[in-house]
Amino acid sequence: MDSKHDMESRIGVFVCNCGEGMKNIDFDGLTEKVAGVPGVLSVTLSRDLCLDEGREKMVSLTRDKGVDRVVIAACSPDLKEDMFRQALESAGLNGNLISMANIREQCSWVHDGDVTGKAAELVMMAIERARLLNPVERRRLPVNTDVLVIGGGFSAMSTALRLSGVGLRTTMLVREPVLGAGSGEMEHLQGVDAGWIMAAVEKEPMIDVLTCVQMIGAEGEPGNLTVKVMKDGVESSRQFGAIVLATGFRTELLVDRGSTDDDVIAGPSIVSQERLRCMLDSSSLDSRPAVVGFLSDLADEDSRFATLATLNSALAVKARWGSEVYVLCRDVKVDSEGAERLYRRARECGVVFVKYDSAPRIALEDGIVTVEARDVFVGEEMILACDLLVGEELLSPGEGAEALGCLFGLRLDSGGFYQDENVHLYPVSSERKGVFFVGGCRGNADITRVQADIASVVTRVCGLLCPGSLQVDMERVKVDPQKCVACLTCIRVCPHGAIRLVREEGGTDVAVVSDSGCDACGVCAAICPAKAIEFQGYRDDELLAQIRAAGAL
Amino acid sequence: MVGGHAASFPCKATDVCVGCSACVVSDKIREAVNHPGIRILTGCTISGLSGVKGNFLVKIAQEPGHVDAGRCIACGLCTEVCPTDPKAICLPQADAAPLAHSLDEGLCLRWDGKKCELCRGVCPTGAIEFDRNCHEEELRVGAVVVATGFQVFDAREKGSLGYGRYPGVMSGLDVENVFRRQGTLRLPGGDEEPDRIAFIQCVGSRDESHSYCSHVCCKYAMKLAALIKHQRPEARVTMFYIDLQTAGKGFAPFFEQYGEGIEFVRGVPVEVVQTESGQLEVKFEDISLGRVCRDTFDVVVLSVGISPRGDSWDLARVLGIDMAEDGFFDTATPVGSNETTVSGILLAGTCQGPKDIPDSVAHGIAAASKAMELLGMPVQADG
Repeated sequence: MDSKHDMESRIGVFVCNCGEGMKNIDFDGLTEKVAGVPGVLSVTLSRDLCLDEGREKMVSLTRDKGVDRVVIAACSPDLKEDMFRQALESAGLNGNLISMANIREQCSWVHDGDVTGKAAELVMMAIERARLLNPVERRRLPVNTDVLVIGGGFSAMSTALRLSGVGLRTTMLVREPVLGAGSGEMEHLQGVDAGWIMAAVEKEPMIDVLTCVQMIGAEGEPGNLTVKVMKDGVESSRQFGAIVLATGFRTELLVDRGSTDDDVIAGPSIVSQERLRCMLDSSSLDSRPAVVGFLSDLADEDSRFATLATLNSALAVKARWGSEVYVLCRDVKVDSEGAERLYRRARECGVVFVKYDSAPRIALEDGIVTVEARDVFVGEEMILACDLLVGEELLSPGEGAEALGCLFGLRLDSGGFYQDENVHLYPVSSERKGVFFVGGCRGNADITRVQADIASVVTRVCGLLCPGSLQVDMERVKVDPQKCVACLTCIRVCPHGAIRLVREEGGTDVAVVSDSGCDACGVCAAICPAKAIEFQGYRDDELLAQIRAAGAL
Repeated sequence: MVGGHAASFPCKATDVCVGCSACVVSDKIREAVNHPGIRILTGCTISGLSGVKGNFLVKIAQEPGHVDAGRCIACGLCTEVCPTDPKAICLPQADAAPLAHSLDEGLCLRWDGKKCELCRGVCPTGAIEFDRNCHEEELRVGAVVVATGFQVFDAREKGSLGYGRYPGVMSGLDVENVFRRQGTLRLPGGDEEPDRIAFIQCVGSRDESHSYCSHVCCKYAMKLAALIKHQRPEARVTMFYIDLQTAGKGFAPFFEQYGEGIEFVRGVPVEVVQTESGQLEVKFEDISLGRVCRDTFDVVVLSVGISPRGDSWDLARVLGIDMAEDGFFDTATPVGSNETTVSGILLAGTCQGPKDIPDSVAHGIAAASKAMELLGMPVQADG
């Protein structure tokens, strides 16, 4: 931008003295100094810019005088910037042509000495930045309101049902030939009645179920995503507005030295929770195990699911077989809804909890599993001989979760589960806008948290798709195709998967930022070695102008 | 003021973030306060509710504060002229939301029969009013979300632990407040940092009258302990517990890293007494050793749990919703969902049962989705 143009800008400066609350600033001196700056059309001193009356004055002055950039020197932008922006947009000013100087929290309230000098400097910096600001157009882009749910288990079916319930057409993409694989675990181990869900999904006209389908590609931006799928060796592509991953988790028996033959019930063995369920369900029992042990906390210190599973299974064994039941653990993890009550019920039913402090030794001899551990309550080594030991299971993400995550550019946490964008603020959102995950695949496997996940994802998807269009800042971050050398640095660092490589006419590749996928974090603009990416509002010239202004006074 | 208990939690970062979520709260508050679709009414009680899902009529009695939050610009002039010490009118918290001053009748001279009105005279926006006009308002709404939160367990109920009797016995929340205000834990009434600190877990959780785990205490206690050890590595921190709740995303590595510096003792102490030298003697059964032991500490922190609010009954009666055994609001289905026994009235957060901040956030978002479902959020056609 040439300097001639700079000087022609019509900047309106609004200074607020906060009801004369900032006594250590000489506001007359400040406004006088600012009024003489080239390009500044007017300087207005206000005492209540944040109240309706003050704001209305600012809006009418901006409109009447033909101000084309606004500088506001007041309190922290954290408090009122959005409000000022909305007000000025109503006066026809582009929202990006506003620059704020915080002369209250970052100046008047915290400094002694030449406070007016610093305030003036802050205002000058904001003016120099304002001069260079470019408008950023805001548009509403249409979105596709169809949703894709990947997975066929409990979380996936519940999510699809809830989405169709709010009127969103939902497609379920299932790798297995049937729905409901794995949802039996939820039913048995977590005390959920999942039987009705499958029937409800099949009856729901707003849900399409595609079985035996493999995901092979995904591209696009929130509201308009294209996925490529493979079924029976045939490739096809489909369009969706949002995608929810519900690929679940799998369990792996940590200690499995026993046989898993059908006659296991007759002999001692070490089995998984799932195997135990089959045995409990089996009606043809010749002999019931007299002593059943459950082992946990050997490796996994992190599983609420395992605790709930153990408590529910222990109760079932008591009820069905009447065996002596021992649970060996370090700590009982009761920080899930209802877990403490379940724990109490188990003890009332006669389940014995043995807390050990160092890892127990397990041996299989003459058809009996012996577990040796030091019981911290008794303070002595104990040997438990059981006919059946239910081993500890490790939870890991469902098969293929990593490859699927790769297709979407998702990050994985230390356990290999999908990493939320922000664990606290956006529990079910991935860093890629428009892609969400629920339940076991994000590491939440206890039923109450899974339920919350499912409801949360419905809110998020609705927020994105239900208005039918998406408000997008156009070209806030833009790659200059002349400067781009297609080094892929930006594509690698973009946390939101919003940049892709596009082949231009003539065969050169350039990076292109998706306006609706971009979160305006600025990482790409900062790192681009060719300085080909401009982030409006934080361009180099805008930042340099501020630095120069800071030193000029 | 909005923000609940969470607004008073301090950041517990050592030299790295420990994921305590305290910073999330101010972001959420700002989002809510600035959202054009959200109207915030403070100082309100609900006096009646009629109608059905989709068409409720809620009667609200609003007792406004003496400072009009809509007009207060937080300039601070009133606090400057206020003659009392401590100040009767001030910002309740630096990041209060809405950012407005409030007047404490207990400190103000006017409620002491004096004629002071300095603050009203100096207020540039005329936001201060001494006579409050309580008024009633009726709201028509389609759904009601109850998010009234919890009450911190009052540790005085466990008399033998000495809370309220010995200044060195503090609740977890007291310690949070100390960190928020001073940034360091100091001996009560002094400048010295304590050398020996005990944390007692499950105070007001998992006992005869609380058949639930509060979900948060192990984590906050461990994070506070890590912070104390980080600031003063020579301090000795002992934690008395029943079962350590180390589950939850990302907590296991944290526990591995910081757990080593903390001494863990299985068993919850029954008695704390102050010795003549002012130290606190903790009497406990060391289950691992199988005998009663005593140990002395400078500070004893009681990891108080989440209790249902004392006024839950009143609200339940007005709304016609059920209470669960523990005193939290009951849900229509056995596993923690948002629906109450009345269609159209939903629950969010700890008023339904103990939750940490991330779980509360998820539960709140879930309540929003149920509300959308109930009211039928219209899906617009493309474009």
